[in-house]
Amino acid sequence: MAYITDYEYYQNSGTIPTDANWGSYQFLSLADIVNNFMLMYQGNHELINNIDRYQILFHAKRGIQELNYDAMKEIKILQLDITNQLRFVLPPDYVNWVRISQFRDGTLYPLSENIQTNWSSAYLQDNDSNVLFDQNGKALRPQDSELDLNQMSATAKSIYLNSSSPYNNSEGWCVDGNWYFDYAVGARFGLNTETANSNPTFTINKQSGVINFSNILGSSSVVLEYVSDGMAGGIDSEIHLNKLFEEYIYAYVKYSILNTRVGITEYVVNRARKDKSSLLRNAKIRLSNIHPGRLLMNMRGQNKWIK
Amino acid sequence: MPINDVRNTVLAIANKNNYGYISPADFNLYAKQAQLDMFEDYFYQYNNQLVKENLRQSGTGYADISKGLAEVIDTFYVNIPLLNSATTQVGDIQTNLYTLPSNYYLINKMMVYTKELAAGITTSTNGGAVAVNDTTVDFIAAGVQVGDIASTITNGVVYNTVVSSVVSATSLLVFSTSGATVWSSVGKTYNIYSANYIVEAERVAQSKITMLNNSVLTKPNIGYPAYTQNALVAEAYPITINNIGQFTSQYVRYPNPPRWTYAQLLGGEPLFDATQADYQDFELPLSDEPILIAKICQYIGVEIREQAVYDFAKAAIAEDNQ
Repeated sequence: MAYITDYEYYQNSGTIPTDANWGSYQFLSLADIVNNFMLMYQGNHELINNIDRYQILFHAKRGIQELNYDAMKEIKILQLDITNQLRFVLPPDYVNWVRISQFRDGTLYPLSENIQTNWSSAYLQDNDSNVLFDQNGKALRPQDSELDLNQMSATAKSIYLNSSSPYNNSEGWCVDGNWYFDYAVGARFGLNTETANSNPTFTINKQSGVINFSNILGSSSVVLEYVSDGMAGGIDSEIHLNKLFEEYIYAYVKYSILNTRVGITEYVVNRARKDKSSLLRNAKIRLSNIHPGRLLMNMRGQNKWIK
Repeated sequence: MPINDVRNTVLAIANKNNYGYISPADFNLYAKQAQLDMFEDYFYQYNNQLVKENLRQSGTGYADISKGLAEVIDTFYVNIPLLNSATTQVGDIQTNLYTLPSNYYLINKMMVYTKELAAGITTSTNGGAVAVNDTTVDFIAAGVQVGDIASTITNGVVYNTVVSSVVSATSLLVFSTSGATVWSSVGKTYNIYSANYIVEAERVAQSKITMLNNSVLTKPNIGYPAYTQNALVAEAYPITINNIGQFTSQYVRYPNPPRWTYAQLLGGEPLFDATQADYQDFELPLSDEPILIAKICQYIGVEIREQAVYDFAKAAIAEDNQ
């Protein structure tokens, strides 16, 4: 990010959107990273020479992607209404989720993941359970499996927890906030902690790119907190990196190149690797914002009575 | 380096002991050959010096040999906009094909203007050959500023002129171009680019360009453009780089062939005349005169079959290379 005037910063020089430059100083653009690297780290008298710019670009982007996955804490948040199939379509830049919450009546209710699957593919079968095929030999598939239909209709059972109710610990259906139960006949099984929650649960179907919910109120929406890879939808001019990681990204690119080049002595590669690793640690510590003021606030909590 | 001085010295050496006579035509041939030989040698010398520097065998300051070599090479540096095929061919020809200059020795880099501010056709010549007038656009609203680039084609050559003044919303003034009258007629197609938005296009090998274009992370775009070279044509990527003057080349050209010229004979000898149209001095620095003379003498020694001349020149070159 180039140096800009206060007017450019606060008002974007009067151009809409006027908030385009807010907070921009904390970031370094991809163009700056590539340019600085080509200028400072490659040349006739440097460790790296005769390198193509696209190789620098590739490694710089890969470094930014890696940082976005776990080090940078650049959480993206998206609120959407779920579809009538109780599904939330993953955003286009989704890589992994951090937290999923239900937004209902002005409050965020964090939801828990149900690792029991609630979706499946299926084949059409005849009465003898033989799989049916088309003329090309491909198995015929229904649009939705029974498991899918079960999930979409919110007819999956869950455990009802309410110690003051005679139905406590019973399996039932939660539909639009009301619970329905079978007659209490037959065996009981242990509590399923994944579904023993008055809030809906979710399962992520990565292949289909959706989050499936057990049930959810029609009037509520879902808030997804997730991490992306920082590639800004492929728009290079919008890719940026926190300045705390600047030295690290140069070290990362340098190491990535030296590590794959012919004729580089091992100690040089090792030096670059250690350089990269230590700079990553430094950057993480810096980003964690540990400073006396914060520690003091935390330490003051030691005298708090836990009831 | 004055060509007459060189010729006089060469003739003095060649005529010593009446070895022989060199005609102006032969001298010009040998002069061209020797100059090319030395010119190409600069690049190898430069590389050798860099190797020495990395081995700590070369110093700085007055001992910085590579600096001197770079300065000589830079005297042949040229920066020109390239003509793309749309201006020379009609039909559905790819317009991202730019014709390379015919006199280049080494293309150092290609630059791309990435932000076009305005484009159109001039509507008048008010203000003369340095005025760009178009009543159909608003240069001020488009953000045209002093220093921006106004491109057009005149007599089949692309000119990138620099805006010197924004006179009004429909009129600009540009700096004049030496040796050419660029904006003298109505109806000239032009493009105006922001001088602040210029990036380097990277040369990509033919063996890599297909994979590069298919790469998600590194596919060429307007921020990181690329080009390949097909014979004397540069193909720009992405293909949206196709406007007049948008693609410029910064290259090292070949030195012009030296020409010792004369108009008349005096006492049977051609009389030197520097006013002839094809007169051309050597373009190498004066410091290279001894070695240049030695190289010419080598060729002359072969022509007049004088081993002594050849040996003298060979020894002089060997000494210089030490």
